[in-house]
Amino acid sequence: MKNYKSKILIGLGLLTSVFACKKTETFPVDKLSIAYVFDVRDSAGTNALKYLLNVYAILPYGHNRVNKDYLDAASDDAVSSASGEDVTLLSTGNYNSITLPASENVWSTLNSTNTANYWNGVRDANEFIANIGVVPVKDVVAANGKINGIGVSTRYIWKAEARFLRAFFYFELVKRWGGVPLLGNKVYNVDDNLALPRNNFSDCINYIVSECDAIKDSLITVQTYNPSSDNYRVTLGSDLALKARVLLYAASPLFNAANTNSLVGYTNYDPTRWTAAASAAQDVLNLSGYSLDPSFKNIFLTQNDQEVLFIRTANNSNTSNVVETNNGPPGFPSAVGYGITSPTEDLVDAFPMSNGKAISDPASGFDPTHPYANRDPRLTYTVLYNGAQWLSTQLQTYEGGQSKPNNGQQQTLTGYYLRKFMGNQENATQYQSHDESWVLFRLAEMKLSYAEAENEVLSTPSPAIYQQLTDLRARAGIAPGTDGMYGLTANMTQAEMRVAIQNERRIEMAFEEQRYFDIRRWKIASTVMNQPRMGVSIVNTNGNLTYNYMQVLVTKFNAPTMYLYPIPYDEVLKNSAMKQNPGWN
Amino acid sequence: MLLLAKTSFAAIRDTTILQAKKIPGWVSGQVINQDHRPLKDVKVFVKNTQSVALTDTDGHFNIQAPTGSTVVFQLHDYYSNEITVDENAGVTVRLQATYLQSPDKIDVLYGTQSTESVLGAISTVYTSQLTTTPASLYVYALPGQLSGLYTQQTSGFSSFSTASLTYGDVDGLSHISTGAVNARATDNNEITLNVRGQTPVTIIDGVQREISSIDPESIESISVLKDALSSILLGINSSRGILLVTTKKAEAGRPRISFTAESGVQNPLGLPTPLPAYQYAYLYNEAATNDGSAPLYTAADFNAYKNHTDPYGHPDVNWFNTILRKNSPETSYKLNVDGGSGVAKYTIGLSYFNQEGIFNQAPSSAYGTNDDLKRYIINSDVAVQVNKNLSVDLQLFGRVQQSQEPGGGSSNILNLLYGTPNNAYPIYNPNGTFGGSVLGSAFQNNLLAMTEYSGYIQNNTNDILANLNLNYNLNSVTKGLSFNLKGNVSYESANALNRSLQNNTYIQNKDSTYAAVGSTVAQSNTFTTIYTLRQTYYQASLNYDRQFGKSSINGLLMYDTKSLNSNYDLPAVTTDRALKVAYNYDGKYFAEGALNSSGYNRYTPGHQFGLFYAGGLGWQMGKESFIKDNFSWIDSWKWRATYGKTGNNNIDTYSYYGYVQTYGNGNTDYYTGTGRNQTPTYYENGIADPFLSWETANKIDFGADISLFKNHLQLTGDYYHDKYSNLVQIRGASIALLGIAYPYENIGINLYHGFEFSATYNNNVGKFNYFITGNISTQASKVIYSDEETPQYPWNKTTGLPVGTIFGYEADGFYQNAAQAAKGAVFGSYTPKAGDIKLKDLNGDGVINQFDEAPIGNLKPLVFYGTTLGFNYKGFSLSVIIQGVFNREINTDNSYNAPFQGLGLFASPPQGQAYENATARWTPETAATAKLPELSFINTKLNGYNTAFSSFYLKSGDYVRLKNAELGYSLPYSWAQRLGFANIRVFIDGENIATLAGYGGYDPEVSPDNYPIQRVISAGINVKL
Repeated sequence: MKNYKSKILIGLGLLTSVFACKKTETFPVDKLSIAYVFDVRDSAGTNALKYLLNVYAILPYGHNRVNKDYLDAASDDAVSSASGEDVTLLSTGNYNSITLPASENVWSTLNSTNTANYWNGVRDANEFIANIGVVPVKDVVAANGKINGIGVSTRYIWKAEARFLRAFFYFELVKRWGGVPLLGNKVYNVDDNLALPRNNFSDCINYIVSECDAIKDSLITVQTYNPSSDNYRVTLGSDLALKARVLLYAASPLFNAANTNSLVGYTNYDPTRWTAAASAAQDVLNLSGYSLDPSFKNIFLTQNDQEVLFIRTANNSNTSNVVETNNGPPGFPSAVGYGITSPTEDLVDAFPMSNGKAISDPASGFDPTHPYANRDPRLTYTVLYNGAQWLSTQLQTYEGGQSKPNNGQQQTLTGYYLRKFMGNQENATQYQSHDESWVLFRLAEMKLSYAEAENEVLSTPSPAIYQQLTDLRARAGIAPGTDGMYGLTANMTQAEMRVAIQNERRIEMAFEEQRYFDIRRWKIASTVMNQPRMGVSIVNTNGNLTYNYMQVLVTKFNAPTMYLYPIPYDEVLKNSAMKQNPGWN
Repeated sequence: MLLLAKTSFAAIRDTTILQAKKIPGWVSGQVINQDHRPLKDVKVFVKNTQSVALTDTDGHFNIQAPTGSTVVFQLHDYYSNEITVDENAGVTVRLQATYLQSPDKIDVLYGTQSTESVLGAISTVYTSQLTTTPASLYVYALPGQLSGLYTQQTSGFSSFSTASLTYGDVDGLSHISTGAVNARATDNNEITLNVRGQTPVTIIDGVQREISSIDPESIESISVLKDALSSILLGINSSRGILLVTTKKAEAGRPRISFTAESGVQNPLGLPTPLPAYQYAYLYNEAATNDGSAPLYTAADFNAYKNHTDPYGHPDVNWFNTILRKNSPETSYKLNVDGGSGVAKYTIGLSYFNQEGIFNQAPSSAYGTNDDLKRYIINSDVAVQVNKNLSVDLQLFGRVQQSQEPGGGSSNILNLLYGTPNNAYPIYNPNGTFGGSVLGSAFQNNLLAMTEYSGYIQNNTNDILANLNLNYNLNSVTKGLSFNLKGNVSYESANALNRSLQNNTYIQNKDSTYAAVGSTVAQSNTFTTIYTLRQTYYQASLNYDRQFGKSSINGLLMYDTKSLNSNYDLPAVTTDRALKVAYNYDGKYFAEGALNSSGYNRYTPGHQFGLFYAGGLGWQMGKESFIKDNFSWIDSWKWRATYGKTGNNNIDTYSYYGYVQTYGNGNTDYYTGTGRNQTPTYYENGIADPFLSWETANKIDFGADISLFKNHLQLTGDYYHDKYSNLVQIRGASIALLGIAYPYENIGINLYHGFEFSATYNNNVGKFNYFITGNISTQASKVIYSDEETPQYPWNKTTGLPVGTIFGYEADGFYQNAAQAAKGAVFGSYTPKAGDIKLKDLNGDGVINQFDEAPIGNLKPLVFYGTTLGFNYKGFSLSVIIQGVFNREINTDNSYNAPFQGLGLFASPPQGQAYENATARWTPETAATAKLPELSFINTKLNGYNTAFSSFYLKSGDYVRLKNAELGYSLPYSWAQRLGFANIRVFIDGENIATLAGYGGYDPEVSPDNYPIQRVISAGINVKL
């Protein structure tokens, strides 16, 4: 009897366990499928837009981007105050196909957010382009949205934006490596053949330019469509600006020459490339709705600035002062600054006097005992020097001064700190927050590009060329002078004008990731980067300052190898069709 | 000693005299064990006569023995005892269990098996080998005791997480112990285990559970199952070895109560000696001068540091002495009760363990701030024989654990401690505030404040486990058949209570005012659930065990399913459907085979199950007549061989439901609009990989078990050849043009092979029982295939080399002068100088770069060994465990050998601590004897030349440790009984008593920056009622 009881009990136990089974989740419900992201029922396109924003996020955010530094700290404009930084490895030629620093290896560095990888950018853009078609976006741009062809669904605008971003990413690759494989619209999968060869440099330029042309009528013209939310978006201005930059690079001496290797540049010199570049820049200048901001500083602090053609929004949630924290001078307990960027004496010397004349010009009125007096106001906006007004005090960067205490903490190597991009903190006691978007294209660059290209087209500089430079100098606050030339020499030759434009570009666009590539495309890196970087050591003897100029870093540039980056070693190893750039292994 | 033996006073004999009626010429009495339980089948014989008797089930014996003769008592696994017959007739004789045990039946996965029929490679330790180690976890007792098990201690104290597990943690991608299969929430983060190259799976009483804190006294045995046949019932998880823990089951009899109290002190080992401030300053200046920059410290600074004339402006604080204490206590209490009748038996174990950490504590503090671990465990087991066919066994296990660390965070404090120089900042300022320094963000928080005045963080882990076993005897259906049902439910939760705070630090200005350096954080009171873990396990099996004449058949048909559920994760379900059959003929010829269709629910539907199988053959050569007749000294000689195809289910480490293409959310927030609205973004997750499967292995094991000289000498040897295939890796041609990370695929093939050998000898000379056992194991490996692209230089290739080969530059001493250095290869833009490490330029291009990296370490097979020896004489017992390893290498490229760098404190310029070894740096005067390169900030930091990983930093990791020793004394039974106890034993234990290491810098196992390894000396008493 007892025996049966236990059998019954076991039996019951088994039965209950069988019937107690109910269906459970077998795949995590929170995992999103492609049908969710590109949803055939999502008439607002909410999820698709979030995907597109992820593509936007791959745009470079240049503030202290290269590990902790500005890329320009790898040029002749600055050095890093910290040691062993990626920029120092770049400026001292301390890299090869394996050791190219991850922050500049935008080819194969995959990190958790993939922000530094432009092949990831190309893939994501392609995926968006391939899938956005299914999303029934009903939102229609109003007539005052100023798009060509009223009634175009924004999804087509988005598609054009994705194509712009893809073109932008390609150019980021091309300016570093020369010709790269063009993947078209295909979203590759693991089992597709990815052992693709590089396309010629000219193919790449043609492709990027054709993309820019193809989408230009599908983009919003200015951000005024919905300025409170659309300030980050690609506009017609962004598109034309990209095209202008691409053509300017393509026309530059590095590429526009009789190269023997069609992967790294054109195989002939063609002056019409300058014409194309000038005309592309002219197209941007002809756009309505943009003008130079009378305040140089405000360009970087204002969201919908009149001069800005395209930005990459800040990574921080709201306005803040990360730029100040990273680059501001140390020595202010209430306003912490790590002073990572040390602008060089070379850069400081490039700024003219407030009368527009170079300091080397005997007529400029430059006083070596007061080297910062009466200088181009952009110097004050770009560099913090000894005696500059900052945080309600006169900055002390003399030896042992408040911001160069020589006590072992990180401080300037050159006697200068970065000022550009910072808020108006001159009379503050602690850093006030402000917008920190990264400006990718602005009108000043286009003016300089136009001037540069047009100067190469013409045998004698035209008034239009002068006009571009005087516009910028006038905005900067340089005195027009009696001749109205803002310190420029009249009747310059083409070569003299070239030097003038290059210098103007250097000081106007400092730290905006231009100089590093400019010295390469102008092929002057072999000269300037093989000179030591200079700084100033200021000795304060009872208020009397003596300025001693000294070498702070010996930079190195192996020409012509280093004009282009090496393709990452692994990529050449894995892909038999991948040709390494000349000089690298 | 001989004299003592002869003077056998009754009082010091392990016997008592019963007042019984004497029958002349006969001796009668009872034989019991330490627990006062009668022992049956004890061989009782009288020396020099033919009288032999066996004890009955109550332990009684009756033997003819004249007065004055010597009666000897012998039982397998007990030390023999003897008495001299005197006037009194009845005696009670107590036998002590041997330190080393070799029972007839051993525990195997999901059951027991007679030792003689085991075909696999299994090594086992028993209770007495575990209880000599005073430690928080039983794994501390394993080093050196089990052949084939390699251990390395990585930390000297338990550590815990304070953050709630994230999605990544839950799905296993970044969770604790990713190496172990489904190992969630293991409590062992101090010792890593490795069986034949793989992290083992822990099975406790037939259920996979990663618990290492069970009281050793309630553990019956711990076995390491190393071959495929032994682990095949784990199916998809059978590739790894198994650490099989079996707890003690109840024994029928009158209640037995055992109580142990033990208390000890721990001392940290291997702490480095920091440089006094003036020496630090001197070397700092030397480094600056070497770099061509101005020295930082003046002569006045030196004097102030040296004479301590300015303790605030020129502090010289030995932080090790300031915040660490030399001795920290450790206490444990254990109570075990068992007993019962033939119908119902029970056992209850209670234990308490408390370990304190190395930090000092402020006397004024109202609460504890030191590292602290308190643990309460209850383990009970009730076995009921319901009727003649049905037996039920219910086990309940509960653990309540509370650990604590200073508010500054134990590992954070240790990290800063190792990096902070003596002169960084004073402990206190003149006004009593905490000192700090602006020179580095690491110095903005005061070490003493972080340790003693920053509150505390607490971790509470609770778990409960219930195990129900039903066994139904189906002899009525057919003889030898039984049905077994097992159900296990367990729940574990861990939470953290954070009551930490941060004090500000101050620096005294020149005008004697103070400026704040750091910041203040008010005491928090936050509660976080770290994880909850639910696990269920069900197993149903039919067992068949029957003898037909000389043939014996054993069969098992089994179904089991295990479900793991952690936080908000979905259940992870493993299922096995297995059949195992063993046959043997006459105890001579053995054959065994098993099939297991096993699966896991996170593979692509339709591809979740695989078939795993194993088989073995054995031959007991010792029973063949040609041995029996010719070599009488051979008691047993068994050959055995197993082969199996096993699985390693590690998909959770690489992919989470990765068979479907999914999209993630919020990879990078992109801020849009004038309001800077945070817009989470969607992004493509890694490429879907529907083909990802489990790893497989083909494992072969050959072995022999030999017993010689009346079982006094036992030898076991094994050779294994385990080939692991389908290893989850990323393909070689992972071309970046894809634009996204490549998925993991089943690609690689690795081979592990080696020998394991152990020998045990035990014997006695009268009452002097002694034993020695030793084991030695080798472990070699080879990467057979890894889809590697052919590199430009052959020395960059990893295929064909051992798994885990260390690559680096080859160092060749120092450049002794400028002329030598000028000829050296450059490193980037850096040209080496005299005093720099000379790195070999393998490809001869004049540049040191990755192309010059070659295999420099871990090239030789690892060899590890251990020996245990001891004796037992008249209640005195001694056991000693010595453990060691050779062909091991350690990477010492850390701040200890790169002065000023600081552990993790890469400030600019370097300002980390330097240790005494820095005085052996290269200088022109000491060029011949230098142990470190020339001091420099530029070399070590800017270019990373001297700290570039090279064979210079690869040091011998060989060591031999006197790992453990126990000296114990059991009071004679007569004394104990007079006090009312069955047994009283006092003992002294030692752990990590002495070490001989190949590398002299710091401990060969626990590297700096981790909680140091401890030497523990403890004493205790065990009483049994």
